[in-house]
Amino acid sequence: MNQQRRDFLRKAGLGALAGIGAAAGMLPLFALEKTDMTVFTDKPVPGKVRWGMLVDTRKCREGCNECVVRCHHDHNVPDFGKSKNEVKWIWKSRYEEAFPTASKQFQSPDVENRNVLTLCNHCAEPPCTRACPTEATFRRWDGIVSMDYHRCIGCRFCMAACPYGSRSFNWQDPRPAVKELSATYPTRERGVVEKCNFCSERLVKGQLPACVESCAGNALTFGDLNDPGSELRKMLAANETMQRKPELGTLPSVFYII
Amino acid sequence: MSNRISTILAFVIAVIMFVAAWFFMQSGDGASAPARAEAPVAAPKEVPIDSTRCVASTEWMKSHHMQLLNQWRHDSVREGNRTYATPDGRHFDKSLNTCLGCHASNPMFCFMCHEYANVKPTCWNCHISPMEATK
Ligand code: SF4
Ligand code: SF4
Repeated sequence: MNQQRRDFLRKAGLGALAGIGAAAGMLPLFALEKTDMTVFTDKPVPGKVRWGMLVDTRKCREGCNECVVRCHHDHNVPDFGKSKNEVKWIWKSRYEEAFPTASKQFQSPDVENRNVLTLCNHCAEPPCTRACPTEATFRRWDGIVSMDYHRCIGCRFCMAACPYGSRSFNWQDPRPAVKELSATYPTRERGVVEKCNFCSERLVKGQLPACVESCAGNALTFGDLNDPGSELRKMLAANETMQRKPELGTLPSVFYII
Repeated sequence: MSNRISTILAFVIAVIMFVAAWFFMQSGDGASAPARAEAPVAAPKEVPIDSTRCVASTEWMKSHHMQLLNQWRHDSVREGNRTYATPDGRHFDKSLNTCLGCHASNPMFCFMCHEYANVKPTCWNCHISPMEATK
């Protein structure tokens, strides 16, 4: 290569570098929208609170469906019956369905026949949020695994990823299947996935989740898992408890007393 | 001689890049200006909510309510930042229900204008519209 050309390239390169450097220095000043950090002072500290629940299956009465009815009413969950279209946020499962990997050899018939309340576990390591390509489902600052229905494209990756079957898909327009429209929460539309939201719309008003409030047998305890002084943590410390499929490492926030 | 030409050329290229960068900054700035004028500011939680007047002027709301709702949704659903403060210091919950708190008194409020403008927002596919709420 001839010397002049080499010189030219060297200088042009220097010029370009200077240009990029100057642009990079000036861009945050002019090109991007200014961020006013005071806007964010209302933002909760992520990870400070982790909501959790303890289900005492001994107190959960056989045949009682109060919490399910109340939750499904409050959240406008459509009723498609026990079909493949079924949509559910909270429901009762048989013991071996809730804890398929727990030992059942010589299990007491009382426990084996028990119906266990199941809902989204609001896992600390949720596989569903990792599968979601649009971040429509995400883990919130308070540990709740939330759904942003506006973003859901209905790919159902999250349903495949959830090891607990906590999610339901709206195969058809859910509106006509909502018996009594509740004004406290929106409905969904066809083509989105839905599941329990730990009553985040009630928590923000300082109320307990609807299921916890509706349980006459006091079988449900709700609280902050990160607060060692909370009622929930005291109950967890005082009782032997189980999580569903703990071997998967999803770290469920819903615990069970058998 | 040609050494000098190359120096000049390098300088010219650098100048062109400066101008281009400046131009690019200008256009970015201009486009975002109107939205920024109403950017929310921090609000302490305790302040009581004042809903005797709208969160912004009628004119601004007519042209920007969709951007505002979009921003509110993002802030409250994804960030947990729920308090909106107007530039004159009034505070509101960032929720569609804040709007409906007043505007639902006229069940046709949203529909009349959307009908006229021939826009079909999908809000009421899920959210309970004032028409249904008063039914
Ligand atoms: S239970 Fe399923 S839906 Fe709920 S957070 Fe865990 S993986 Fe996600
Ligand atoms: S169905 Fe919706 S929430 Fe589930 S993974 Fe797809 S986009 Fe995400």
